[in-house]
Amino acid sequence: MMKKFLKLMAVNRSFFLFVFLIGMFVVFSFIIPEFSTIYNVLNMTKYGVEIGLLAFAETLIIISGGGGIDLSIGSILSLSAMVIGVLAGRLGVNIVIASILGIITGGLCGVVNGFFVSFLRIPPLIVTLSTMYVYDSLALLIAVDKWGNPMPVSNFPYGYYFIGQQTYFNIPFQVIAIFIPLALMLHFVLSKTTFGRYLVATGNSEVVARFSSVPVRRVKFTVYVIGGFLAGLAALIMTSRIASARPDLGAGLNLQAITIAVLGGTNIMGGEGSILGTLMAIVVITALYNGLQLAGISSIWQVGTLGIILIGSAIANIILSKKFSSVE
Amino acid sequence: MELKKIIKSRELTVGLVMIGLIVFFSLSSERFLTTNNIKNILLQVSSIGVASIGMTMIIITGGIDVSAGSILGIVAVTLGKAATNGFPAWLSIILGILVGLALGSVNASFIALLGIPPIIVTLGMMSLLRSLAYTFLGGRWIASLPGAVRWMGLGKILNVPVPIWLTIILVAYFSYFMRYRPLGRYIYAVGNSLEAARVSGVDTKRILFFVYALAGLMYGIAGAIVVGRAGIVQTNTGNNFELQVIAATVLGGTSILGGKGTIVGSILGSLLVAVLSNGLILLNVPALTEGLIIGVLILGSVAIDVIKNRGEE
Amino acid sequence: MDSVLKAKKIVKNFGGVKALRGVDFELLAGEVHALVGENGAGKSTLIKILTGVLQPDSGEIEYFGKNVVLDSPREAHELGIVAVYQEPLVYKHLSVVENIFIGNEIKKRNGDVDWKKERDVTRELLKSLDIDPYFIDEPMGSLSTGLQQLALIAKALNYNAKVIIFDEPTAILTEHETQRLFSIIKKLKEKEVGIIYISHRLEELPQIADRVTIMRDGQVMGTFNMNEINREKMIELMAGRAVIEEIDRKPPKYEEVVLEVENLNKKGLYQDISFKLYKGEILGFSGLVGAGRSEVMQTIFGLIKPDSGKIKINSKEVNIKDPASAMNIGIAYVPEDRGAQGLFRALAISFNITIPIIDQLSKFFGMVDKDKEREISENYLKWFQIKAPSIYTLVNNLSGGNQQKVLLSKWLATSPKILILDEPTRGVDVAVKSQIHNEILRLAESGISIIIVSSELPEIIKLSDRVIVMHEGRITGRFDKKDSITPTNLLNAATGSRMVYSRD
Repeated sequence: MMKKFLKLMAVNRSFFLFVFLIGMFVVFSFIIPEFSTIYNVLNMTKYGVEIGLLAFAETLIIISGGGGIDLSIGSILSLSAMVIGVLAGRLGVNIVIASILGIITGGLCGVVNGFFVSFLRIPPLIVTLSTMYVYDSLALLIAVDKWGNPMPVSNFPYGYYFIGQQTYFNIPFQVIAIFIPLALMLHFVLSKTTFGRYLVATGNSEVVARFSSVPVRRVKFTVYVIGGFLAGLAALIMTSRIASARPDLGAGLNLQAITIAVLGGTNIMGGEGSILGTLMAIVVITALYNGLQLAGISSIWQVGTLGIILIGSAIANIILSKKFSSVE
Repeated sequence: MELKKIIKSRELTVGLVMIGLIVFFSLSSERFLTTNNIKNILLQVSSIGVASIGMTMIIITGGIDVSAGSILGIVAVTLGKAATNGFPAWLSIILGILVGLALGSVNASFIALLGIPPIIVTLGMMSLLRSLAYTFLGGRWIASLPGAVRWMGLGKILNVPVPIWLTIILVAYFSYFMRYRPLGRYIYAVGNSLEAARVSGVDTKRILFFVYALAGLMYGIAGAIVVGRAGIVQTNTGNNFELQVIAATVLGGTSILGGKGTIVGSILGSLLVAVLSNGLILLNVPALTEGLIIGVLILGSVAIDVIKNRGEE
Repeated sequence: MDSVLKAKKIVKNFGGVKALRGVDFELLAGEVHALVGENGAGKSTLIKILTGVLQPDSGEIEYFGKNVVLDSPREAHELGIVAVYQEPLVYKHLSVVENIFIGNEIKKRNGDVDWKKERDVTRELLKSLDIDPYFIDEPMGSLSTGLQQLALIAKALNYNAKVIIFDEPTAILTEHETQRLFSIIKKLKEKEVGIIYISHRLEELPQIADRVTIMRDGQVMGTFNMNEINREKMIELMAGRAVIEEIDRKPPKYEEVVLEVENLNKKGLYQDISFKLYKGEILGFSGLVGAGRSEVMQTIFGLIKPDSGKIKINSKEVNIKDPASAMNIGIAYVPEDRGAQGLFRALAISFNITIPIIDQLSKFFGMVDKDKEREISENYLKWFQIKAPSIYTLVNNLSGGNQQKVLLSKWLATSPKILILDEPTRGVDVAVKSQIHNEILRLAESGISIIIVSSELPEIIKLSDRVIVMHEGRITGRFDKKDSITPTNLLNAATGSRMVYSRD
């Protein structure tokens, strides 16, 4: 019984995270009474949305294999946020149009990444490291106000804030109207559709995929574009939630997003991973951040624990799979 | 034959681009080619340059290290804390550098001994160490460091700043090391073919351990330089440092797929970035475009390389 | 002459397959000992055992009269037994000098690598073989295969090798490079090095070899002095009295040409390839490994772009730019390398079977119709008697034979009109093999045109209506009459003699 349980933990990352989550809930509920209140649980979800979308993007990109990774995802978020902010806040463009253009900006950034990765076949790490600099720089450039300094934009039309601040029965709007549907959709795409099959095939072995008439280049290109759109969407939600667009909004988020994707069971070598796993990792991390915050532990330990969990789970995985590899 | 090789080398390309930039900037601005400004550029290069020694070796083995900036942060905090708590300056500096070595060894253990992919180990360490540094600082800066501690940044020997000495000595030694010491050659062997290296009797685990641990030591020295120059330790000391170092290394011709690259190339890479950003400032080009230019430069140069090599195949 | 290396009663089994059945082999100092045999005769297994890559199940190895155990390539290396493979393990970004000395550096007193001495030694090594050492500072990866080979010979000499094994060294060399290699081998003989020389070019053996050992089915058929044996005798021994199963098959009608290939060329891979494939026929492609057969097939499947030539389907010229377009006109290609080209080993059987046709299985929004997927996969599971707990079992957990059945299912599921099978029974046991053969015959019966590329003569002879033989990128034999398809004829063509037996 115990053996079976441990084996499931070793084989199934989502289950592993689920057990971890329950343990964490129990511990936090004991220490912090307000942790497990419905209000808190529902409210904390909104903090997982933006990083969650970025982690979904990384999940798809890492699955595509061949060193697939996107270091520019946070910078795309910054740039998209500034596009929305400058268009709506400074140039007085209609907020809906500004939002759409912001998301399209994200998609275009993804097109650039995808082009270099899949058509010029430059290693993704180099492509996205370079475009990270480029997008960051562009975000700063368009943030420049009439006095010549890059400044945040905060004067959005009032109606804009419902995206990131409205709640229904304590459930944040962005969670119920954007994140959950998107997570379901991506889960559907990855696990149920032909595109998902192609993606997993490409990530498992580009050669076998080519021999199986899978359109390898198109698949790789597509994931970077999807990644860009997701970052654009995250930018929209974030600017609305914090009521401000800043050119450094996405700073540091790329590595966090990658960490969460890997924690969720995405194989850094490609070909393996699931939206459910990444979702579990997002839930774990969000709950953890919230618990630590309520426990009065400095918010800086959020990323710290993320690091510990990442390395810890890698080690646990090695130990558990060594122990159970002989069982099969 | 030799000449052809030199012409094709990445070092030459980067060097030529740099000379072009230097000529351009000195014609455009009187302030560019002054002793003071040159010293400035070199000082700016020193910390990234020293760290890129370690990063170059790591990337040659086919690995990556994104924890460089966080290790540098911890080094800075250790050094600052020690110095402001009554440790003698020299001991504080040594302590800081040793902490770098120790953290590099932690990376090394996970990667070389447990076989966890470098990107995962160093991502984890990056997050963890960033939090640790913040906690040690308690959210405050360490300012008013005793002057002696700043020797690594401000000191001078024969009227040349210590960081420049350090960079020159370390680059010279490790260039020699990579070229003449068997261990240095094994680093290339591992990056070219782990399998072949094993058959040749190279202890590949030992090589990997060495490389990540040594990189930690280099980040330690870079940290001491950074603290010395800045005179303060902030919570964000070392932020984004790893990406700058990786960028300089890649720009200098080290292949991200491993097996190929030189330390001199990486130094030229970091110099190129420094010359560029310095010159742009002097020309009053908005500092904000710096990232744009650096990004295009890296991507462009790698793209040219990739396309050039593909033509040969 | 002294015996350098002696293998006694070596036995090696892979699962149920008997690769070596008690092989005796002796190499003398200063001799060139050729090792010949059909693909799968056991040559490579023997070499792998002699170089420590594999360990024998039983038997002994003597080296200079002493029993040795070769646990690893490194150990064999240190003793002085070195193999120069066709695709050698090299450090491609490092120079020739370094490829020779890594792990075995010449050091100065302070421990530095002594580059000057290493260079001098490299030059000396190459000069001792009469080679101009102009290329020693070039990165290995930038050299031609011929030069890489020379560098590796120099490396072997530097290790003081007493045994050098060449595995088809001339297959990839130009005529000039071949002559150079031969003169080097003569030099090596003078140095008392024992040389094992594996080659499919029987015609070159009298020029270079002193003795020849012929292998078949994991056994030694005989060892001869080169001047005591001729080509015909060698081929006879290689082919043996292969047991060819009789099958009951009506010859096809040869009326409708479904595929026609005209003057297909690809530099370095194949030249002047022309042939026709009729509806319902089984066309065999015979030849030795590396003859260019797979490359021709991969071109027809859109994986390789030809330099020139035409491909016609039903008399209409087609442009096959990728596997998807090949599939659309009804071509399926079952690749030879199951692991690296054929199957996603870490994924489920059903995933593998349906991936080429997954677009046809989508319902709405690109959603995969799981029911159809299960139905198709389970059909093949049953039909082919694939032994697996379920269609969701990972391919990795299947035996080689069952993996091969999954691979075939994957391409049969595309309902091809032209089915190209590249080594369809490699590494499978006898029962699965005959099952696959029956399936191939049944498919041809139903009107599918089949090309079968196989290095096993009995398989080609049993199944094919007509046979084309390739040798080093060219077609050297066409056998349209069933009674002309004999082991001797095929081997003759495969080793370079031109032969045509047309129907009329």
